Amino acid sequence: MPRTLRRAIVTLALIGLMIALEFGFERVVTDAAWRQLALAAMVNIIVALSLNVINGMAGQFSIGHAGFVGVGAYTGAVVASNIHIWLFIHHRTESAPLFQNSFLVMPIVLLSAGAMAGIFGFVVGLPSLRLKGDYLAIVTLGFAEIFRLVIATAQTGGDAGGGISGALATLGGQNGYGGPDVRTILTTVTDPEVTARLNTYENGGVPQYAGPFWIFGAVVVVALIAWRLKFSGWGRALRALREDEIASAAVGVDPTRYKVTSFVIAAVGAGVAGGLLASMRDGNPTIQPDQFTFNTSFDAITMVILGGSGSVTGAIFGGVFVTFTVKMIEQLQGLESVQALKVQFPSLDLNALRMVVYAAVLITLMILRPEGLFGERELFKKARTKKSPSSNDTPDKPVATPVPEPAKPEAT
Amino acid sequence: MSAYREDDAAQKTTSSVPVLDLRGVTKTFGGLRAVSDVTFSVPERSIFGLIGPNGAGKTTLFNLITGVYKADSGSIRFRTTDLGPLKPAQIARVGVARTFQNIRLFGQLTVLENVLIACEHKRKAHLLSALLRTELFYRDEEEMKNRALELLAIFDLDKMADEVSTSLSYGNQRRLEIARAMMLDPKLLLLDEPAAGMNYGEAEGLKTQIRWLRDRFELTVVLVEHNMQVVMGVCEDLHVLDHGETIAHGPPELVRKHPKVLAAYLGEDADEALDAEAEAAAHAGQGAEEGDSAAPETTELT
Repeated sequence: MPRTLRRAIVTLALIGLMIALEFGFERVVTDAAWRQLALAAMVNIIVALSLNVINGMAGQFSIGHAGFVGVGAYTGAVVASNIHIWLFIHHRTESAPLFQNSFLVMPIVLLSAGAMAGIFGFVVGLPSLRLKGDYLAIVTLGFAEIFRLVIATAQTGGDAGGGISGALATLGGQNGYGGPDVRTILTTVTDPEVTARLNTYENGGVPQYAGPFWIFGAVVVVALIAWRLKFSGWGRALRALREDEIASAAVGVDPTRYKVTSFVIAAVGAGVAGGLLASMRDGNPTIQPDQFTFNTSFDAITMVILGGSGSVTGAIFGGVFVTFTVKMIEQLQGLESVQALKVQFPSLDLNALRMVVYAAVLITLMILRPEGLFGERELFKKARTKKSPSSNDTPDKPVATPVPEPAKPEAT
Repeated sequence: MSAYREDDAAQKTTSSVPVLDLRGVTKTFGGLRAVSDVTFSVPERSIFGLIGPNGAGKTTLFNLITGVYKADSGSIRFRTTDLGPLKPAQIARVGVARTFQNIRLFGQLTVLENVLIACEHKRKAHLLSALLRTELFYRDEEEMKNRALELLAIFDLDKMADEVSTSLSYGNQRRLEIARAMMLDPKLLLLDEPAAGMNYGEAEGLKTQIRWLRDRFELTVVLVEHNMQVVMGVCEDLHVLDHGETIAHGPPELVRKHPKVLAAYLGEDADEALDAEAEAAAHAGQGAEEGDSAAPETTELT
């Protein structure tokens, strides 16, 4: 079948490209800072694409997306570290993560991160999406903050106790999670061989399995899924729902079901982004609760709205744009003229200045393009709804009593 | 079909169960009884009119039938199905379609997409199939699109299939709303003021259209309408509501002469009307019956 063949070729070509990126990315982008920025942009794209499903396509305003990214990140970090140590003990791998092992670790990490975030999404979405108006915004914001604070304020150290508080303590509290404590594992191990092996383990934090292969690969897969969701009957039903909930219910589209499904899908996407975030090589092998503050949610919303609510290509553009703009503005601080200004006016707060510039960029864009850069449209979208050949010969038009055109006034 | 009969009689003369059967349906909003103990049944393939002055509870009754509101008491059955516990989307799926008083189309969607939404629930290919873009997905999409285009052709809207629905003329929007409802393959169609905003000629056309719809799609039609030209011309049975209560039931020629109906419709002018004596009396009786509970609605009428 030509379609199957075409797909197989495209898939193979993409996998080839990803492998090439895995090994060649350092040569293509030589500057490490830019490399990290590019990878961060990719993760942000996934965050934006997933938020776009619920905020853009379904029109439900969720402002707690960072919470789901966080759930995914912590799940991914825990899963990745434990598999890593298991590999270290039983398969005698190095302390440093290897690319070939990532094919075992990353699928499990991404699946578990996505699944866990999806479960949280279902639990949060099911009650709140039945309500109308801004309740969802409040509930999602509350969820994200509760999640962050529960982890950040967990009692760490010896007196954590057992049960839930003990489990939370292993996540590292405010200091962040950097893999399981090898000393704790040692206390449970009886096999002397394993003990000896574990003693040689160098804890490098959460193992950084997610290289360019996984990050770029995930972006391609997530973008493809988002695109296909939008241009399917399901995406059409979501758009209808956003236009008019009562009318969609009247034609058989169950609003709650569609909203909860899209909310769960958005959460799964955020979880996958979190899983990547946990294992990416960004020079930060730990996961901290502060990575998932309201600012992260807000950035995600900015990406979606800037790109154009509901637009897949818009969300991709927004993810890249916001990541790089923030970085560019940070770079401004290093400029000589800005530094000179700082010398002249010591009270000048450069961080505040950065936020001012960022705000100015956003406000300008919103004035110029209130519907976002793309609106709901897509780049590279060919004209759709071509007529099917068979549709023209069948219709049985009423001949005697034409429904068409409300009859012309006959007796006015 | 046009002879007046009691509900029990209707059960005997028509072999099948009524398409729609309401028994003692009551709905209150706070202290206001919007619909009070309404009982009627609609026989198969009839055109049934639900009329009454503004605020009589007609649209509320539609919302009760389609599950937008839940009745406080009483039962609503569609053939043998109890609609009470069902959600609006489920009611639409069992074959009860409706249009809205102020057209509710999906504005940003094209004409074709508007119609396609109504067969979304019949899709065989589910979400995973859509994500994988399986053969089934494409076949399904193709089938649905063909069916939708056929239906649009019947309503003479196929030429504008790719236009955004808000760009359509008012008349075309009304027709599109009906076409969308028909995509559900309904057995019962509820039309909420289809003649709103139509002139005499257009309303005449609408009468033909409603009859044609009924015959072409083998439907039962219930319509809420203010336009008496349409109601009297097309309905075989009428049910008249005022302040949420049934005041008359029967074929148009009987209902139009019914004193309570005259009072309800002409009541607002009764004070000034020259020959108001009888009606004024009837109106006064009516008012006493209603009591204080209906006060907010009464103010709307007078």
